[in-house]
Amino acid sequence: MSLEVKGCRELQSEVLARDLCSLCGACVGMCPYLVTYKGRVVALDECNLSQGRCYAFCPRTSLDLDLLSQTVFGVPYTADELGTVQQIAMARAMDDGIRSKAQYGGTVTALTSFALEQGLIDSAVLTAGDENILPSGTLANSAAQIRDCAGSSFVAAPTVAAFNRESAKGDVQRIGVVATPCQALALAKMRASPLENRNNVDKLSLVIGLFCTWALRYEDFASFLAEKVPLGQIVKFDIPPPPANIFQVFADSGRIDIPLDQVRSFIRPACNVCIDMTAEFADISVGAAEGVAGWNTLITRSDAGRKLVEAAQAKGVIETKPLPEQNLAHLKEASLLKKKRGLNKVIETTGSDQDLLYLRLASEVVRGLLS
Amino acid sequence: MTSIIAYEPGASQLLMGNEAIARGALEAGLGLASAYPGNPSSEIIGSLAEVAREMGIYVEWSVNEKVALEVAAAASFAGVRAIVAMKQNGLNVASDFLMNLNLTGTNAGLVLVVCDDPSGQSSTNEQDSRPIAKWAELPLLEPATFQEAKDMAKWAFELSEEIKNVCVLRSVTRVSHARGDVRLGETKPPSRDARFAPTMLGQFTPLLVTLKHNMLHQKLKRVREIFESSPFNWYTGPEKPELLIVTCGSGWYYCLEAVKVLGLESSVGILKLGTTWPLPEKLVLEHLARTDKVLVVEEVDPFLEGNLKELVGDNFSALGPLTFYGKRSGHLPSVGELDPDQVMGGIGSVLGRERVAVEPEYSKKAQDLTGGMVQSRMIGFCAGCPHRATLWSVKNALKLDGRGGFVTGDIGCYTMGLGPTGFFQLKTAQAMGSGAGLACGFGNLDKLGFAQPVLAVCGDSTFFHAAIPALINGVYNQANFTLIILDNSATAMTGFQPHPGTGASALGEPAPSVDLEGLCRSLGIQVEVTDPFDIQDTTQKLLDLMQHDGRVRVLISRRKCAIVRAKEEKAAYKVRVDSVRCRGESCGCARLCTRVFQCPGLIWDGESQTAKIDEVICSGCGVCADICPASAIIREAA
Repeated sequence: MSLEVKGCRELQSEVLARDLCSLCGACVGMCPYLVTYKGRVVALDECNLSQGRCYAFCPRTSLDLDLLSQTVFGVPYTADELGTVQQIAMARAMDDGIRSKAQYGGTVTALTSFALEQGLIDSAVLTAGDENILPSGTLANSAAQIRDCAGSSFVAAPTVAAFNRESAKGDVQRIGVVATPCQALALAKMRASPLENRNNVDKLSLVIGLFCTWALRYEDFASFLAEKVPLGQIVKFDIPPPPANIFQVFADSGRIDIPLDQVRSFIRPACNVCIDMTAEFADISVGAAEGVAGWNTLITRSDAGRKLVEAAQAKGVIETKPLPEQNLAHLKEASLLKKKRGLNKVIETTGSDQDLLYLRLASEVVRGLLS
Repeated sequence: MTSIIAYEPGASQLLMGNEAIARGALEAGLGLASAYPGNPSSEIIGSLAEVAREMGIYVEWSVNEKVALEVAAAASFAGVRAIVAMKQNGLNVASDFLMNLNLTGTNAGLVLVVCDDPSGQSSTNEQDSRPIAKWAELPLLEPATFQEAKDMAKWAFELSEEIKNVCVLRSVTRVSHARGDVRLGETKPPSRDARFAPTMLGQFTPLLVTLKHNMLHQKLKRVREIFESSPFNWYTGPEKPELLIVTCGSGWYYCLEAVKVLGLESSVGILKLGTTWPLPEKLVLEHLARTDKVLVVEEVDPFLEGNLKELVGDNFSALGPLTFYGKRSGHLPSVGELDPDQVMGGIGSVLGRERVAVEPEYSKKAQDLTGGMVQSRMIGFCAGCPHRATLWSVKNALKLDGRGGFVTGDIGCYTMGLGPTGFFQLKTAQAMGSGAGLACGFGNLDKLGFAQPVLAVCGDSTFFHAAIPALINGVYNQANFTLIILDNSATAMTGFQPHPGTGASALGEPAPSVDLEGLCRSLGIQVEVTDPFDIQDTTQKLLDLMQHDGRVRVLISRRKCAIVRAKEEKAAYKVRVDSVRCRGESCGCARLCTRVFQCPGLIWDGESQTAKIDEVICSGCGVCADICPASAIIREAA
């Protein structure tokens, strides 16, 4: 198999028009045609090229997971629940200041700052919200800037667009990206792309993946929230562990609890066909440690990821402890459930298990996942 | 252009048809001329404005055609000969007043010139204006030559005074805009005893409508008698023609050429009519009685043909069997401009003769001859046109907004916004001001499920002409739309005539300038002003304005017309392309500037595979530097 490359017209008809866009931002920031605006990818004019980077890098077109796995890790794609794994543990930042600002254990902030400090990267592409909670990718060159971006957005963000823009500049050479699963997929596709122009992806030195079950559509979610609280007053969001089943909005004026099911109605349709919960194509992946407040789950996938984690441990930047068996089993179950749901949604959409939209999966893999 | 009073009486001068009409009016002792510009009529008032001071006459560009006719009628009421000129669409605007003026009648000679535009070369329709003469029961003259254009215009004043009513002179593009030799007569100074003094109770009012209607019939009867001996009607051809061609106006030359080329002078006769309503019935019947085949050649609609058939119907028993050919029979095309080739085809098919077509290579030869001198270019905005820049921002704002918003437009240079150089943004274009009127309607459809943002565009001159009532309607009825006034400080499409916002009169003298913002604000409207060359700011303002709900908003996009600018000031920038940075056709650009933005100042160099600046055409606006994704277009202060 290989990665099929078409043009912007096909990106519009196969992805945007079918609501398959996850707003990762991979198609944006390279040309004058595609831009993002208020949580949407917008085609301003018709590009007439038959092949384009926009189509090539999109995680919702021609996704050959085996090729990506070979490219990123040098091993075939196995469809294991958690992808390629070297180590799994619980982790947290040693710095109290980081932990107090962070969503869970502050591991992402601590590791990103550490990578910058060590010179593994010279800048980091992160995600930050504006005063209207609209998130976008941003470039950070200091620990303070990195800390400002701590915390989860829950709203889909076109972060890869920032990588596209920044990697084209001469003053950055080694870029780290903190990426959701779809963003990590896009970056892996960039690496594996058959196109000559691979967008300076050689500058991509580190991908820290984030666990993700879904992301929200900006425009209607923001209007929904604005009826409850001025958007400018919102400090952060959180979803406490079950059985709370609420979405918490922390604002200057206090906390607002919204039933989670109401918030779920704003999930991007593209998230329903996603089969990656743990950012399987990142160097390391980080998420909540369910039931253990103030800690993260940390999956180490690549050699580069392992070296970073080990060095950070050695320097006392993060501390780790084993992930209890029960938590691991639960994580695998949740991840597998997302794969099954995503695959079933794809098959429901096309009406055939022979047409899996963007997924290029061997039929035995499909059978295995659905069994 | 040489002034229409530059030559002595008796001299022969090469005049444009419109200039000939203006000259004829001066020879009739014209005192006042008014018009709203509109092609192909604009040069009539334009050439009179040039000589206004010298001739001691009053000339004005009026705000619209109805006001222009009212201004001219006032002069007539006060004993001053007046001419009013308009294009076919303008006549519709003036018609409300005209359909009452015909009844009340006039005093001093009042000539209404309407210039039609067959094929709509510079119009949104190809309306045939002649039926209004029949509708309004007014005499109609149609010049066929440039000499006749001058002579008819002069005589029309006498006819108007004879019957105390408006005389309509109808021209078409080929008469108005082509040039020919015209033998000049004496110009005559205007009457200087202007005074309004009705001689009858309610003379200029609709008092006693039926009585006045009856008087109108009597006037028309008198005109018919006068037309019977008019020198503008004549016949050439055999005593009993095998085929009688009845023609008028521009059709006459086509018929002459066709008959000559076909060598049918001895069998085909041509009755050329200059007075087409009411018909000189005796004259026409005399000629119809001498043939059994009639071909009617006219532009655009079968107006003359229909009237001839009515006449035949009234005189059926006195005439032998007659077969009519023309537009209704399909022997001539029923749409578009005529030419000698089409007339030859018509004659040939009636008489069963081989058609002698124009040499097939003719148009190619013409192209070869001029090709080196004239670059082939599609119709579109000029280099540096502010409308292109505004519509670029409009396109982007509508795309970003994402709610299916659209643009309603109307008449002006910006009508070209419906095509590629305006990025196909205009979705409607009908009458002057109708973009704003339609927006009023769309803007209240929310009660019926409508949820798209509406942007109306109109030019500054069009705003004064017809958009103000629509804007007030929108305010009063709380319509939800944004009106973009494309203020380029000129009536650009018709030749840069001044208008109420420019601060200059028809004679180029200083005049009060109506303040667009002040006028709109006085209606309680939120008004924003933007420089269309600042694409980012204009796009943002549009996005913000579209977010407001409920009321009318106005965005004034202000930049002087590029051509006016070029005449008055130096280019702001020197623009060049850095060919190393230019991404050309590759992914990341795909020729945005030459393929999508399409300013004629930018050219694609196939050899180097980069964009280049056409330095002759580039007006130095620098907008393309802002749209280039690679910063390869560089503007430097000129």
